[in-house]
Amino acid sequence: MENQYSTIFVVDISQNPDEVDTVSSRIQQLIEDHGGVIKKIDRWGKRRLAYSINKNTHGFYVEIEFTANSRLNIPRILEGEYRLNDRVLRFLSYTITKKELIQRSINSGKAKAKKLEQAEKEIEKQPVVEKEAKIPASEEPIQADAPVESENLEKPESSEPEKKSEEVESIEEEKSSEEEKSSEEEKTFDEEKKPEKVEEESSEEENKNEKIEN
Amino acid sequence: MLQRKKRVCRFCESGDIYIDFRDEKRLVRFLTEQGKIVPRRTSGNCNQHQRQLAQAIKRARHLALIPFVSDIPR
Repeated sequence: MENQYSTIFVVDISQNPDEVDTVSSRIQQLIEDHGGVIKKIDRWGKRRLAYSINKNTHGFYVEIEFTANSRLNIPRILEGEYRLNDRVLRFLSYTITKKELIQRSINSGKAKAKKLEQAEKEIEKQPVVEKEAKIPASEEPIQADAPVESENLEKPESSEPEKKSEEVESIEEEKSSEEEKSSEEEKTFDEEKKPEKVEEESSEEENKNEKIEN
Repeated sequence: MLQRKKRVCRFCESGDIYIDFRDEKRLVRFLTEQGKIVPRRTSGNCNQHQRQLAQAIKRARHLALIPFVSDIPR
């Protein structure tokens, strides 16, 4: 069966930055020699590693997509090469599923629609942000007079994450379509959680006060 | 007491079929501060998406996109 594969590897470039080319050309050669067809070569570039590997803090990521017959067992051949090569810090080879391919086509469709929306939003956004920034400032003195503690704590808390996430949104929107959605979702997630915590704290304080009075 | 809203799986809401491990910003939202995978009862994900998410997180960890354990300041 013809399969679509993806292989990603991290190259150590601490000593020699040219190592990336030698390693990636070697992998490409292996794939082609064994009957695979390279579809895409994606260089993610130099990235910071989330944790140090062999005392390296950075690595160069390269992704190669190819199709091959599953009988050829190319991922296994690649694994042997990766393990032999000292310069490869990490590697991952996997078959691309139908779901992933469908998701990609969905995302590419979304990205086109998003570009149009972005242009419209950027024009609209600038005045909107200013307005929202002013509102909490005017509310603060009113809240200070209010006697109930929980209300005081809730409003400034809930308004702050909104503003932040909006700023984040405007940056992230340019990057991809997915991220905007998730940041919006995060907003609701934060709003739900934070006020609850605050209320619990405040109710605890009230309980303490009652005890002291008794 | 406030009644919690019933959460719907976010991946279902956004209509995602596949969760990509390359998108580490998205994955980080489903990790605790220590880097553990957030359980389903907290994140509200459906079964299928939680499984996909777990696989994506594990792949991302292997490639050092996400930490296995993030540092906790003492």
